[in-house]
Parts: sequence; structure tokens; C-alpha cells
Amino acid sequence: MSLTLEGVIERKGFGPGTWALVSPTGETYELHQPPLELQRAGLRVKVQGQIREDIMSFAMIGPVLQIQQFEHL
Amino acid sequence: MKKLLLGLLFFVGLFWALSNYSGLATQGTYDSILLDFREDIGAAQIQNQVEKLVQQFKLAPRLNSIYSLDDHLFVVKGNQAVLKRLRQSDLRKYTESIEPNYVYTAFKTPNDPDYDKQWNLRSINVESAWDETRGSGITVAVIDTGITVVPDLKDTKLVPGYDFVNDREDAKDDNGHGTHVAGTIAQSTNNGFGVAGIAYEASLMPLKVLSSSGGGTVADIAEAIRFAADHEAAVINLSLGGGGESQVLREAIDYAHSKGVLIVAAAGNANQNSAAYPARYPHVLGVAALDASGSKAPYSNFGAGVDIAAPGGSTDSNKTGGILQNTLNPDTGESIFEYYQGTSMAAPHVAGVAALVKATGIQNPDEVAAVLKQSVIPVPDDPLNHYGAGKLNADGAVKLALRGKITFNDFFRWLRDNGYLNPRFWVDGGLVALWPKLAMVLGSYLLAWFLRNFFPFTWSWPLSIGLVAGSSGLFFLKPMYLFDAPQWPFRLLGSSIPEMGSAIQGGGLHPVTASVAIPLFLLLLLLGHRHWKWFAIGTSIGMAVCLAISAIWMPQMLWLGQGAIARGFLGLNALLCLVLARFVVRSEVRTV
Repeated sequence: MSLTLEGVIERKGFGPGTWALVSPTGETYELHQPPLELQRAGLRVKVQGQIREDIMSFAMIGPVLQIQQFEHL
Repeated sequence: MKKLLLGLLFFVGLFWALSNYSGLATQGTYDSILLDFREDIGAAQIQNQVEKLVQQFKLAPRLNSIYSLDDHLFVVKGNQAVLKRLRQSDLRKYTESIEPNYVYTAFKTPNDPDYDKQWNLRSINVESAWDETRGSGITVAVIDTGITVVPDLKDTKLVPGYDFVNDREDAKDDNGHGTHVAGTIAQSTNNGFGVAGIAYEASLMPLKVLSSSGGGTVADIAEAIRFAADHEAAVINLSLGGGGESQVLREAIDYAHSKGVLIVAAAGNANQNSAAYPARYPHVLGVAALDASGSKAPYSNFGAGVDIAAPGGSTDSNKTGGILQNTLNPDTGESIFEYYQGTSMAAPHVAGVAALVKATGIQNPDEVAAVLKQSVIPVPDDPLNHYGAGKLNADGAVKLALRGKITFNDFFRWLRDNGYLNPRFWVDGGLVALWPKLAMVLGSYLLAWFLRNFFPFTWSWPLSIGLVAGSSGLFFLKPMYLFDAPQWPFRLLGSSIPEMGSAIQGGGLHPVTASVAIPLFLLLLLLGHRHWKWFAIGTSIGMAVCLAISAIWMPQMLWLGQGAIARGFLGLNALLCLVLARFVVRSEVRTV
């Protein structure tokens, strides 16, 4: 299931830390192995990706999103 | 043969525990002395004496507290030598007592220097649980990012695990999360370093399913659960979650459950209604997180799937509100002590306490879960199910698990409560024939213990009292001597029932009291009473042992002499008492 999302990159404090995308409406997605360019808190981005139903994580902050494409806003 | 071995083990344990019993060996520590002045000598005289303490003994007496003035209770600095001098001086005349001001410590506090930062361990009452068990013999599987043996895990036992991410035997951690979780469960404790863990004598099984970035596949997690179940893990900790419902994972969980494994999982950190998978599955204990104030942590999931709540901490406003354990820095691989937050941290608290409960002998995972849930500190007003059954309580869980069981610790409490560990017992013990008495009381306890293995009855106070009364009496009272007071009350109290007939007049055992007649009479009298019939049963068991030992050791009897007749009489009655006790216990257990 591919979807397009806009939001802000945040670092969430679970374990040693986890990258997240928070949408303007407050929905939180855990970024699964995000590219290095996206590993910066405060970045506003538009991403295209896929929800990975087969992945579990220790962060457990929301759906796990694997990014396929992204652009800075 | 099995029973004989059990018996031998019992005595080995007993003597080990006796040699380790600190109640008598160490008299406690003190660096000050308490003086309690008499009430009747008047304020002026007390003032005189206090001044004498200053001038003659060069001491600086002070009142113990603002309430001490009325009690005339003063404290002075001093050691054993000072105590001796004070006791020998004429201060003695003006005081009710001069005694060491012992320093009491409530529980064993571990010597790990940063233990004081672990608010989370105190909040689950783990210290008093440690008096009973520390999880020895139990394996906890940590299905996570792996475990690296950081310095504060050096003394912790690890059993072989597996790395399902990289498909290799060595399941070391490249993230830090799994090592932190492992620390909460079994950080090396009382090693004079770092921090403490909950079930620190348990073994850890590292199973790596999450990569260095913190994610892992359902397939790997399901395989790891089966691996743990097949390799004798008793508890599985899953500080992970997410994704959708999975048949593969559900089957793995059911498989582990059917093999007697308790599975604990984190509820999730999205602050949403309903726990994440796998916490939400049946046969999984879902754990919500509490902050340092004992409220729901802001991130914790709630609602469906939350079974219990445990400390997960919150580092939002202050780092020290998190859970502190030894882990590794993922960038450098170096050992660090770090505060983490999350339901990931809450779950291992429950897994650790589950290991303690399992170590008490409860095998069935549903029973362990029930013990954990029944022993919680309840939260009365919880409409959204933030806390499940309530807040995890390690002490309550272990005590509940041990209820109805006799452990060595119970046995010592029993000995102590009955006065057998009273110093007077050892000082004056020589006056009564100590060894036969000791054999009688231990023998009766052991016999009751054996009977209990055949017919599982509940240990109760009337039974204990019966055992003591029938076997030895409060024999340490016998040589007590109060000047001018008649001694027969002490002799009577200090006698067992078989000795009663001759307690006042002296002489050998009386053929009436030292026979099956008394327990038979007591049983007929008390059989209808729910509790006190156990006194009669205890008496019968106790007397069987007392008479048997008397027959062998000191068959001195009134009228019957001390020869073969007396021995035969005592032996026969011992046997009759035993048969009587066995008969009644068996029929009692059947009717229950």
C-alpha cells in the first residue's frame, strides 16, 4: 500500500532514539531505516512510502513507514 | 527413596540456613548508647545525672527526639567500652536501662552505588521480594536487539541464544535497547558496581530479532518465540510491537504458552486506545507504563490488551524520570549508564517479577499471570483501563506465590516465633536435654511435612502449636528461674503434653499423658472445629515423634521403670499416635 504524506521529521526518545514523521494532524509514523538525508529533526518533508505490516519495532510509536521517495518542503 | 532424599535435602538446607542465620551471630551495629532514666526520680535528679555524664564521662547527652523529654530518653555517642563503663557506674541506679542504640536496616539494600537512582525498583517493592527469591534457576528470553555483556552484566548468567537478523549464534546487541531491557530483568546486583536488576540470579537468553535500527520481521520474532520455548525459557520478554495481526505470530505464542512459557509484551508507545500486537494477543501479558509519580506515562497505550502496569518512566521533563540501566552507546559500542523510557522498559519489570514468581515453584503460566494480577497495587478509578489489573507489586506477588507453601524461610520464622532461636534457648539449653528436644521438634515438623506431601493440607497456626505442644513444649522455659516465684508454672509451660503428668511432681513420664489417650481425646473433642482440629492433629504428630525419641533415648517412666517394658510402651504408643494422625489427615483431605 503506497501512500503520500507530508509532515515534520522528529527524533522520538525511545531506546537510543527513533526517527518519526509527524503529520500536521498529529499522526506519528515510525521511519523504517530512513535515508541519511532525512535523519534531521525539524525537517519539513513530503514523502512517498509504504506501511510495513510485517515489521515490529521497540519504538511502537505508530505505523512503520518505509520511504521510497521524498522531497524537502 | 525420593522422600528420603527430600528429607536429607531438608536437613542439609536447614543446617546451611542455620549457619547463615544472622539473627544471633551478629548483634547489630551501634555507635551510640540509649539511657532511659527512671520516671520516679524527678526532673532535678535527672538533670544531676545528665550533668554527671558531661563532667565525669565527657559525653554530650542529647534527647533522642522532641518526644524524648517525657520519656527521659537520652542518647550519647559511644562504643562497647563506653557502654560497659556506664553500666558499671552508679548511673545504673537512676536508669531503667542503658543499652546499645542499634542501627536497624529494614531490608537488604543492594550495594550497587547507583541503586538510589532506581526509583522504579523501590516502587515495585522488590527489596522484600528478594528476601524470598532472586530468580535462581529461571531463564528469561529477551527477544529484542540482542544482549551485549556490558560490565554490569558480568556476573549475570547467560544461556546460548540466537541472532535471527544475521543468522548466527552470537546474539550481541548493536543498538542498546536489548541490553537495557536485559539489565532491568537481571543486571548484576550486589556487585558494588552500577545499578541493580530484578531477578538477578536468573539466566538471560539473548534472541536478536530487531536490527540496529530497531525494527524486525514478524517471521523472525515468531521463530525466536519458538526457539525460546524449545530451549527451556520460562519467561519471554517482548519489548516490541506494531504491525498487523499475524497468524504465524499467534501460533508461535500459543505454542510457547502450551509449553508453560509466560509471555510478557509492551503495550506500545503511541498513547492510543488499545495495545499494539503482540501485547494484544491472548496468552500475552500486556504491560502499560507508569511514570515516577505512579501515573500513566504520557506515551503509554491503554485500553484493550493492557493487563498490568509497571514503571516505564518518562524522560520528557527530566532525564532522571526514566529507567536507568547499563547499556551500550550505539555509535561507539562503549558501555554507558542511560535513562530510557517506554513500555519497553515496563515489560521487563513484569518479566523479572514473573521470573521471581516462577522461582517459587509455580510452573503454569496462567497461574503466574494470575499471581501477578492479583497481587497488584490496585488503581480504584480507571475507566479507560490505563493500568489493567493495577500496578506491579513484586513483594505481594512473591508472598502470594508462597502462600500455603513451606519454605526454609518460613521454617525459620516459625522457629523464631516459637522461641527456638531465643538466646536463652542456647544459654540455658544445657539444663534440659537439648538434643532430644531439638530432635523432637524437628522430627515432628519433618513428619508433618512428609504427611503433607501425601495429603496436601494447609499449614496453619493450630497445627504448629499442636506440633510444639505434642513434641517438646516450650522447653526453653523450663530452666527459667525467677527468685521467690514458684517454679512449677515454668515447668508446666516448658513441658510437652507427654511430660505433663510428671511436670509438677517430677519423676519419669506418666503412662497416661505419655500415651495415645491424649491425642485421641483431643481429636474426639476438637474434630468438629474447623481450625482447632489441626491442633489435635499436630499434637498427635508431635507426640508420635516425642514418644518415639523417648523410647530410644530416655525411656524413664513412672511405675514402668526404664527397661524393655517402658520402651515397648512408648514405642507402641508412638506408632498408635502416628496411625491416628495419618488416618485423620487422610480423611480430612478427602472431605475437603
